[in-house]
Amino acid sequence: MKAVERVDQFYLLKQLPKATALLCKKGVLLDASSSWLDIFGLPPQNPDHQTMVFQLYPNASDLKKRLKENKPFTLGHKVTKNNGTCHYKSYFAPWFDEKENVIGTIIQTDDVTSEVEKEQQTAWLQHILETKVEVSKTGWWEFEIATKQLTWCKETKRIHQVPDCFEPTTMEAIEFFKPGYSQNKVSMLFHKAIENHQSYDTNLIIITFNGEERWVRVTGKPHIENGSTTKIFGTIRDIHDEVMAENKVKEHQQLLSTLVDSLPLNVYVKDLESRKVLINKGESHYINKSKEEIIGKNDFDIYNEDTAKISREEDIQVMKHLTPIIGKETAITHNGKTTHFLTSKIPYFDLDGKVCGLIGMSLDISSIKKKECELRDLIKITSMQNQKLIGFAHIVSHNLRSHSANFSMLLEFLKSESDPKERERIVQMLSQASDNLLETLGNLNQVVDVNTKTSVTKKQLFLKHNIVKVLQNFSAFLDKNDSHVINQVAEDIKVDCVPAYLESIVLNLISNAVKYRSPDRKPLIIINAVKSKEGVLLSISDNGLGIDLEKYGDKIFGMYKTFHNREDSKGFGLYLVKNQIEAMGGSITVQSEVDKGTTFNVYFNEES
Amino acid sequence: MKKVSCIFIVDDDPITVFGIKKMLKSVTNCDDVQIFQNGKEAFDALLERHESNKTIPDVIFLDINMPIMDGWDFLDELIALDLKEHIIINMITSSIDPLDHQKWSNFKDKCPYILNFKNKPIFKIEATDLGSMDMAS
Repeated sequence: MKAVERVDQFYLLKQLPKATALLCKKGVLLDASSSWLDIFGLPPQNPDHQTMVFQLYPNASDLKKRLKENKPFTLGHKVTKNNGTCHYKSYFAPWFDEKENVIGTIIQTDDVTSEVEKEQQTAWLQHILETKVEVSKTGWWEFEIATKQLTWCKETKRIHQVPDCFEPTTMEAIEFFKPGYSQNKVSMLFHKAIENHQSYDTNLIIITFNGEERWVRVTGKPHIENGSTTKIFGTIRDIHDEVMAENKVKEHQQLLSTLVDSLPLNVYVKDLESRKVLINKGESHYINKSKEEIIGKNDFDIYNEDTAKISREEDIQVMKHLTPIIGKETAITHNGKTTHFLTSKIPYFDLDGKVCGLIGMSLDISSIKKKECELRDLIKITSMQNQKLIGFAHIVSHNLRSHSANFSMLLEFLKSESDPKERERIVQMLSQASDNLLETLGNLNQVVDVNTKTSVTKKQLFLKHNIVKVLQNFSAFLDKNDSHVINQVAEDIKVDCVPAYLESIVLNLISNAVKYRSPDRKPLIIINAVKSKEGVLLSISDNGLGIDLEKYGDKIFGMYKTFHNREDSKGFGLYLVKNQIEAMGGSITVQSEVDKGTTFNVYFNEES
Repeated sequence: MKKVSCIFIVDDDPITVFGIKKMLKSVTNCDDVQIFQNGKEAFDALLERHESNKTIPDVIFLDINMPIMDGWDFLDELIALDLKEHIIINMITSSIDPLDHQKWSNFKDKCPYILNFKNKPIFKIEATDLGSMDMAS
């Protein structure tokens, strides 16, 4: 070979745009394009400076052997320089002369750095995706519209409990959803995604390959190109355990709230600031506001200041000292109505065991309290009636006894008396005693009537009208005694009263006022009546003798008690009046001053 | 016959008064028997006699239930008067109430006079009801 020819030939090589090198059969670099030399950082080649190709590919240990095979092959390799690592791909091809004899090897080298980097990036993304799938247990799927090709990732297959080799068709994929709602829904959503470009995200039930029903969350998102869907990409995640746990929590909540709401108690939970954070129906009903209106409010917002103060103090005691209040009787006035409660407050701890409020329970015991009061009243009435009965028995025994004693005595006299005149006198006395006994019996009978005839019908009577009637029947007596009666009772005042009793009461009190007149004054009787919430108060005042109440106060309404020396004083009228008033549920009191006058106050009870 | 100078009968029941008077006739022939309708009348009379140094009654028949001033109030007033004379007081009542008997028992302890308790009916007045000779028995 001539040197000039050689130079020309190699000069051409040097200029090749693609990095190219020529090797002799021994692997010695004969020459290369500048770009090739640049890749490896080599100087221009000459006989003084020869490079063995093998040292340029240190990672390809079998390069020598492969070159001898005289077949084309490629080799990936990298070169690290100051500005980083570059990736290359070298094509090795046998070099033939004109006679098809192999005289060496031709190498062409491409820079594939960007491709390699892209590959690495893709691999990294793939890795991230796989990690994501693994961690979130979210599988993905992909549907190619054009090819109708459906792809499931491994996780998606795992969720469906199918083997990795399973490749589903769209129909099969949809049939995994539970027939009925889930299947219909997913079909519809899938269709809409394709047709209307709508994404979806919903919870449905699938039946896995193993026949297990499981809740999954499926999403789908259409990929649009030029206005039409080319692909649907979606995810699927097994949320069965979450849904079940959530359902369990919901069931618990349902049970708890049903229980709490149905308890015949007012239940509430308060936070550390005594604000109500939870209440049941009973409490809401009691406060007469909706739950929403009450939640977040404290007792000061709901009750009056005093009630709220007491409640807050209790709360603090419970939450600060962790001492529960159990079954404390409380009376709370709300909206003008007082309710008696049996209240319990117990500290409420959070999951870390720190007190975070209190749970309160109040049992409305108003009806029990009311019954208790009624019972107490009943006992009072019973014991009062008992007392009255004892008193009456005493009166009966005493008064009847005095008459029978007189009979005995007189009869004894009669037995031994021989003087006819004296006998006649004794017989007269006996008949007197008999009259007295009859009168006493008549009186006692009246009292018994008043006290036993509980069924006597009361009527609404105009007080003034009835008083006027009594005064008219009584006018002769009043005129005879020169009495003046002032009737100041208002026309419209009514009393609930037994007519005969009202007459008896008015008659007795007015006749007493006249009977016990002062010798120094003309009798003046003032009748008045006041209506109040409790009932009607009738007062009859006179300017008569009066009575020393300090001395006789406890006896004035007693039977056969008289205090003035008068023939017509029997000591029965006031006793009867008192019995009649009390039988109607009312009462009578007296005020008096000696030689000034007396006032009787009669209370007609409205309720009974 | 027991000689008694003055007897007071304090009772508002005319039949009882009649009976006592009748029974008295057979045991004493007292000329001065006074009748009172209630304790007040009797006490006023007694006080008048005491102040004018007249004879104080030796024997008093005293009813319990009377208007204006009953037997117990009369006794209170009488005890308060603190008379030096001997008086026999016979309480006469139809009451068989144990409370009345208890009250009598209490009065008996604080009363400087002889205080008897007699339940009606009475058929005879004993000599002891008029004199103190049997006090020791």
